[in-house]
Amino acid sequence: MNAARPNKQTAPIRTSPQQQARDRPPRAGSEHATFRGRWLPWLLLLPTLAILGVFSYYPAVQTLRLSVFRSNIIVGNEQFIALDNFSSLLSSPVYQQVMLQTLVFIALVVTLGLMIALGLAWLASQPIPGAKFYRLMLIYPYALSPAIAGTLWLFLFNPEVGAVNHLLETLFGIKPRWLDQPFLAFGLVVAATVWKGLGFNIVFYLAAIQNIPKEVTEAAQIDGATPWQLFYRVVVPLLSPMTFFLVFTNIVSSLFDSFGLVNILTRGGPVYGEAGITTFLVYQLYQDGFRSFQTGLAAAQAVLMLLLVICLIGLQFKYGSNRVHYGA
Amino acid sequence: MKALWIAVPLAVTVMAVAQNQTVEFWHTFGDAKRGNWIQARADEYNKANPSLKIVPIYKGVSDETLQATVLAARQGKAPALVQVDGTSSQLALDSGIFQPVSSVEDVDFSDYLKPIVSYYTIGGKVNSIPFNSSSPVLYFNKDLMVKAGLDPARPPTVFSAVLATCAKFDAAKLGVKCVALTPFSWLFEQWMSQQNAQLLNNGNGRQDRATASNIDSPAGRKIFQFYKDLNDRGYLTNTGKLADTVGTNAIFGQQKALMTINSTAGLGNLLDASKQSGFQMGVGVLPIPDGSLRNGVVIGGASLWVAKAIAKPEAETALDFALFMTNTENMASWHKLTGYYPVRTSSVNLLRKQGWFEGNPLQLVAFRQLLSTKPNIANAGALTGANIQMRALIEQNIQKVLSGQGVSDVAKTANEQVSAALVEYNKNFK
Repeated sequence: MNAARPNKQTAPIRTSPQQQARDRPPRAGSEHATFRGRWLPWLLLLPTLAILGVFSYYPAVQTLRLSVFRSNIIVGNEQFIALDNFSSLLSSPVYQQVMLQTLVFIALVVTLGLMIALGLAWLASQPIPGAKFYRLMLIYPYALSPAIAGTLWLFLFNPEVGAVNHLLETLFGIKPRWLDQPFLAFGLVVAATVWKGLGFNIVFYLAAIQNIPKEVTEAAQIDGATPWQLFYRVVVPLLSPMTFFLVFTNIVSSLFDSFGLVNILTRGGPVYGEAGITTFLVYQLYQDGFRSFQTGLAAAQAVLMLLLVICLIGLQFKYGSNRVHYGA
Repeated sequence: MKALWIAVPLAVTVMAVAQNQTVEFWHTFGDAKRGNWIQARADEYNKANPSLKIVPIYKGVSDETLQATVLAARQGKAPALVQVDGTSSQLALDSGIFQPVSSVEDVDFSDYLKPIVSYYTIGGKVNSIPFNSSSPVLYFNKDLMVKAGLDPARPPTVFSAVLATCAKFDAAKLGVKCVALTPFSWLFEQWMSQQNAQLLNNGNGRQDRATASNIDSPAGRKIFQFYKDLNDRGYLTNTGKLADTVGTNAIFGQQKALMTINSTAGLGNLLDASKQSGFQMGVGVLPIPDGSLRNGVVIGGASLWVAKAIAKPEAETALDFALFMTNTENMASWHKLTGYYPVRTSSVNLLRKQGWFEGNPLQLVAFRQLLSTKPNIANAGALTGANIQMRALIEQNIQKVLSGQGVSDVAKTANEQVSAALVEYNKNFK
């Protein structure tokens, strides 16, 4: 955006550092691309801004506004109640538990998901016969919609008629209650979410691994690094920019996209303490906003979730970015 | 010449629009069986009335349909006829976008089954046309009963008999659970009604907005205790998901449980499942708490509402179609297809005349249960706009009992939570 803003001087379109150095100081009307006039750049931005305005900014502003009202979408009322929605949410033991559960869920999904994805991507990138086939098979869960993935897991883990318990019963004589033992259900949703996200993470890790310069790994091998040392001391640090990116996308997706799986697998249950143990923030929002039609309360939750994302990402950039090594 | 080619069809179209009146009917049946039945009735109606056009549209499950209707109505594009879930009747009223059918024209409700009309009568007015109605019954596996030395001709009718049956069944050690039962608020509501106990105060929310629940009462605690007894003695099974009757049906259908309790609307599908799985299925009345007088079932299902902000002729067409769809013959065919009750006395008589009940004796149980219901406030069912939260809270609390918490604590918590939800909903009207 900044590059396109018409300054007093014509601003250069982003170019490589070398080129910028050559061109400095910028001369008006030189050979590099500029926008003439004040309005042309805005005109060109207009379609994007219009779409963002209608589908992002306007709803966001409406959400902010609604969060200070008591509103039921069926009744159609709007009563100004200032910050009551927020105070009742933050003081509600149910909502506190849901928040805590969500944080634990995110932590587990991100760490497990990335570790497994990295391991599998590393193995799949080894020069072995059929590597291409493995890679394809590793990516496919990502192509399933959450609804279908949820249904698959539900069939597999139905405690009475599911395939998994059938197997466990024949082999070990046990039939775990996957969907109503709180910790099993929580684990199941974590596992399903990790599995569902694997494809995405593996694709990115595979690409990053293939971009690691051969000289570096070869040098390490010549210096006598064991395969484990090569992986842990050389590859993992070189992948840190990708990990940094994936941590961010995984936080956001486990915060928001967990909805589909949860809705089909557990509907937020089973109850543990004050609330269903797999009721995460986005599912609580769905239940309040779209099942109970408490639109104002749901808007307040959306605002709280936005703040949570900002906090998490802020923390990540503050404490995570100094562990990232760009370039070899 | 070219202009004429465009002008003529255009003029014809305009004339056609002027003659034709299109009326949208939004319903909640996405499955082929029920959705196609509705489409077929609309086609018949359209054929008989060439100037009218009924367009049935599936709009998602009941909450989604109601929400879509409200949003459409706010933009002045309300569908004329909408199927609304019975428990959402108060929400439909509070939305203010519907009119009572009696204000469109006088409807003769004398042919409709009394308990069903009673369910949809609010403030002395019948607001909507009853359409799909059902109630819960006991389904059991006759073959397994025989194997365990039980009499399939005498299924249990009270809670203690269910437990006794289970004790005997368990002793036979067939490796099958006794009851497939999910935490299901609809059944909780039925069992309150059977004990002649009102679920909510202020006449079940029918005299005035309900402000508190009666869950923490002897009647309510008996229901929690039933779940607890079944669970503690190892008789109970389900998928662990709340209100997952699809799951309990699957367990029962695959002979992993002796009995299950579910809606009559599932009879057709369960019969199919029993045939596929190779067992004889029996149907019994809903088992109820001991010592209660069987005050009757609350009618579950949905009714047809007519929108307010539409032209009078459109409203009349909508109502006319609703009455056509629920006429004697159509309700009989609807019942045969799905297992829902036909909502008219004349349909029941027609089915009798056709010998339907001799060929399908299982259906009769549900009918007797419904026809013996004498309408009163308890079996008219609870009314509140916080119905969806109420149900979720009841189900969560049943699950707490199943995970080992005490009945009295749980009943108390459930009562407080439901009452709080009622009060919170009522604040919308201050």
